[in-house]
Amino acid sequence: MQEISSYLAPRRLDQALQAMADGAATVLCGGTDLALQTESGARHYKAKLLNIRRIDGLTGIEVKADQVRIGAATTVSDIRGNPELATIAPVLVEAAEHFASEQIRNAASLGGNICNASPAGDMIPPLLVLGASVELACWRDGAVQTRLMPLEGFFVSPGKTVKLAEELLTAVVFDRPAADFVARFKKSGPRPALEISTVSLALGARLSNGKLSEVRVAMGSVAPTPLRARHVEAVLEGKALDAASIAAAVASAAEDAKPIDDVRASAWYRGHLVRVFVEEVLNDVRGN
Amino acid sequence: METKVTAAPIAKTTLIGQRVKKPDAPDKATGKTRYINDMVLPQMLIGKVLFAGRPHARIIRIDTAAAAKLPGVYAVLTGKDAAGLKFGFVRDNVALKDKVRCEHDEIAAVAAETEEIASRALELIDVEFEDLPGVFTPEAGAATGAPLVQEKFPGNKSLSFEFKHGDLAAAERASDFVVDNVFRPHHVTHCCMGTSCAIADFDHNGKLTIWTQTQYPYNYKMDLAPALGIDPGDIRVIQPPIGGAFGSKLDVYPYEPIAALLAKKTGRPVKVIYTREEEFRASPTRQAAIIHMRTGCSRDGTLTFRSADVLLDNGAYTSWGPTIPVIMMRTTSGHYRVPVVDFKAQAIYTNNPYAGSFRGYGNVQTTYATAQQMDMLADLVDIEPLEFHLKNAQKSGEYTPQQSFLRECALAECLETAAAASDYSRKRKEYAAARELPGRYKKGIGLASSIHNAGGAKIHKSDGIGTMLKVDDFARVTVITGASEIGQGIDAVITLIVAEELGVPLEHVTIVNTDSDIAPWDVGVHASRTTFIAGNGTRRAAKKAKAQILNAAAKMLGEPLETLELRGGSVVRDACGTPLIELERLLRRMHFQTEPELVMVSDYYEPNSEPEGAKHVSDHSAAYSHAVHIAEITVDTLTGEIKVDKVTVAQDVGRVINRMGLEGQIEGGIAIGLGYALSENMRLEQGLLKNPCFRDYKLITAPEMPPLDLHFIESNCAEGPYGAKGISELPTIVIAPAIANALHNATGVRIFNPPLSPEKVARAIFDAKQAGS
Repeated sequence: MQEISSYLAPRRLDQALQAMADGAATVLCGGTDLALQTESGARHYKAKLLNIRRIDGLTGIEVKADQVRIGAATTVSDIRGNPELATIAPVLVEAAEHFASEQIRNAASLGGNICNASPAGDMIPPLLVLGASVELACWRDGAVQTRLMPLEGFFVSPGKTVKLAEELLTAVVFDRPAADFVARFKKSGPRPALEISTVSLALGARLSNGKLSEVRVAMGSVAPTPLRARHVEAVLEGKALDAASIAAAVASAAEDAKPIDDVRASAWYRGHLVRVFVEEVLNDVRGN
Repeated sequence: METKVTAAPIAKTTLIGQRVKKPDAPDKATGKTRYINDMVLPQMLIGKVLFAGRPHARIIRIDTAAAAKLPGVYAVLTGKDAAGLKFGFVRDNVALKDKVRCEHDEIAAVAAETEEIASRALELIDVEFEDLPGVFTPEAGAATGAPLVQEKFPGNKSLSFEFKHGDLAAAERASDFVVDNVFRPHHVTHCCMGTSCAIADFDHNGKLTIWTQTQYPYNYKMDLAPALGIDPGDIRVIQPPIGGAFGSKLDVYPYEPIAALLAKKTGRPVKVIYTREEEFRASPTRQAAIIHMRTGCSRDGTLTFRSADVLLDNGAYTSWGPTIPVIMMRTTSGHYRVPVVDFKAQAIYTNNPYAGSFRGYGNVQTTYATAQQMDMLADLVDIEPLEFHLKNAQKSGEYTPQQSFLRECALAECLETAAAASDYSRKRKEYAAARELPGRYKKGIGLASSIHNAGGAKIHKSDGIGTMLKVDDFARVTVITGASEIGQGIDAVITLIVAEELGVPLEHVTIVNTDSDIAPWDVGVHASRTTFIAGNGTRRAAKKAKAQILNAAAKMLGEPLETLELRGGSVVRDACGTPLIELERLLRRMHFQTEPELVMVSDYYEPNSEPEGAKHVSDHSAAYSHAVHIAEITVDTLTGEIKVDKVTVAQDVGRVINRMGLEGQIEGGIAIGLGYALSENMRLEQGLLKNPCFRDYKLITAPEMPPLDLHFIESNCAEGPYGAKGISELPTIVIAPAIANALHNATGVRIFNPPLSPEKVARAIFDAKQAGS
């Protein structure tokens, strides 16, 4: 049986981090993954259940001249409805559009989607192509300490990240995309709502004079973690976006995607979809 | 007594065909309804079941000592507590097992103060298994030397069926075209929103009261009694509101006798309620099958024969699933005019979950085959596809080879109506021509039709219903009926019919139908029978009450009986509508006199049909009906996703009774059928269910429901209430092959093993391209 000995819902970050300092707290925000995982027995509660929803400053979207910062407790609905993000990082809003269902979007947090570290986490590929970093905070030596690390290095395996048990993911930050930045997000699943991605794909790049640069391609559900598709990126970097480069990118997708068979799809279908999506997003960008 | 005539005349109106709301809708929509799942009785314990979790095994040892000692645990039962208490159609099941034959076999049960304690007790039960090799397909089960699932059934043979008509060899020789395919309809499950639940309580006279979700309360007693070793007469069945049944509650399943055995042992009420995961694993499935079907026709498009060789995956126990050939053969022989028929079916025990009845009952699987083969033949013959269908469509007055009498047959009208409304013939040609053109998205249109019993189905010797009706001293009507309400809307139909006959407001009708100690006998909600059977029963009872009321009025008012009518809550002169006395006043006077006359009538209605019989040659339903669905889809040829753009439905409903209920039943039926066609699939690996949750078992959700264009064809059934026929299964039956035919129209590929999931469609298109290039 799972025994929770205390439930905490602090107002201040330092209180939360102190409670986490012994590594014996389960963090609760939206609870949309946590509730299912503890119910099924896939995860067990630690002694303390720590609700971070009320912490001042952990929620909100801040768009500065050079940088965007999204608090970890910001809900997917907040991202979906944010007009500034819709202008400067529509790929993130697009992913929020396709996220689960209205009820789940209202509860689920951005930080939770990242820390859940599912290979199918919908918000992760767009953040990877935006070059996002995550801010991790902990209580050490009597003070709040923070570190910033690239999201790309954050994931270890399904459900596992490099975050320490005493650390809390407090925010996601990324540079404000350049004016010539283009991005796309694609997600597959047999139905329009409440679907776990069979495969997801995001593309982000600068497109100037028909040429791609700073190309980032990210894939979900094709490996144990969401990943950057380095081979596809290399094929496209510095190239003109034309039929030949698109074909080369499609051909290289298999170098990056190493999917498996599972209850939702076969490896063949996932590999097939990745190729279809690479071609689709590149053609779409080319068409604009 | 003088007659005062002051009020204005009351015009003649009818409720038949109007939109009437379900009486329980406001409570259900607002959350007021207390479902069985919500019920708590004083002193009630919670029962939980230990499932085997493996498909085939011997139980070497089962130790319940630690569980029994846990504080708050009142009883722990195992196989020995149910030993010899065999139940089921062929007595091959028992509430608690001493051997494991499928994953969800119930091997122990506990009753405890709370669900938490009961769950903890289950964890404390120590079981040692010896796993046995299993069989997981009917072919494997039928193979020589296959492990036996049920020791008393050699060769793993369960039920078998056969029907032959005409000279097959001669018909084959006379055929210019023959299509020959193997279809593999899959396992799906009902997904009732209310999970399985029963509450049992014994009194000290040994009488059992069971609150349950059953849809056949009377035969249920007969089926439950042997699982408990008690007299069926000692069982009282109470049916609280439930969250869906769809056929899944047409049999006794082990959780029900388990609740009763726990109640008997503890002397307290015991409730067993499944979690969603338990529901997926342990509730019945739709019957999976392998159908080898052949259909022939001559060059001019006249059907020559149809044969079907069917293997059924019986699963580990025999419920209604393996009896579906009774309907499969009616479709094989009666879907269009088939002069020569050869049907055989064999059910084979496997270590898979077992099938119950499910809306469409065998016809979903069969029509998936017959309607696709009709579409294939339509491409081979020399005439237009629609003409091919019309040429072979039966007409009123014809008999099928099994002697189903198609007294009113509107198949041709259904075909013509749906084809015209959807511009079927033009689009089918146009889309087929566009198949080879470039373009990722392809449009397709597909037609399917089927036949189904629409006036009950006399699978028992009787198919009737009892009805009692009283009109009280406030002119409020109570109908005490054997018809169960499981969400299908018989409550609205009964209310409407009583209001129609007695001229009372809909709100003045109350239905009592949830207690087997009160309501009269009925064979249950199945076979699209309730509006037909209970509708007739209600109407007959209402007419008897009306005759009594008008007689009393004639006497009291001194008016000629034949001039009187009930309308708008009053007795009126039929010809002019002049109200003579309010019904309420009349009823009060009837009650309050020296020799009171109470209005209490009863009726037993038996439909005009013949028992199915062992030879399967009988007019087993009092009516038959047809429906045509035309599905229009867009296929993403790269991802394989199918978007259903529109479905045109033309169905022979006999006559519309409650238009809103009819629309709802067709929409709901199509939602279930679309899930079957596109997304629902129990993923079984070696008998273990891999997707016991809604995350991975995909129902059709609201955004996926296509627009429906509904056309009700009114053939005016001579036997049905006001001309109505049963309607509720055809929508589920016809949609899947319409989608499959549309997929072929769009892409040229056919998929014989539903569902038409994106992956399967993408793979089929990809492989076809590889083969073609």
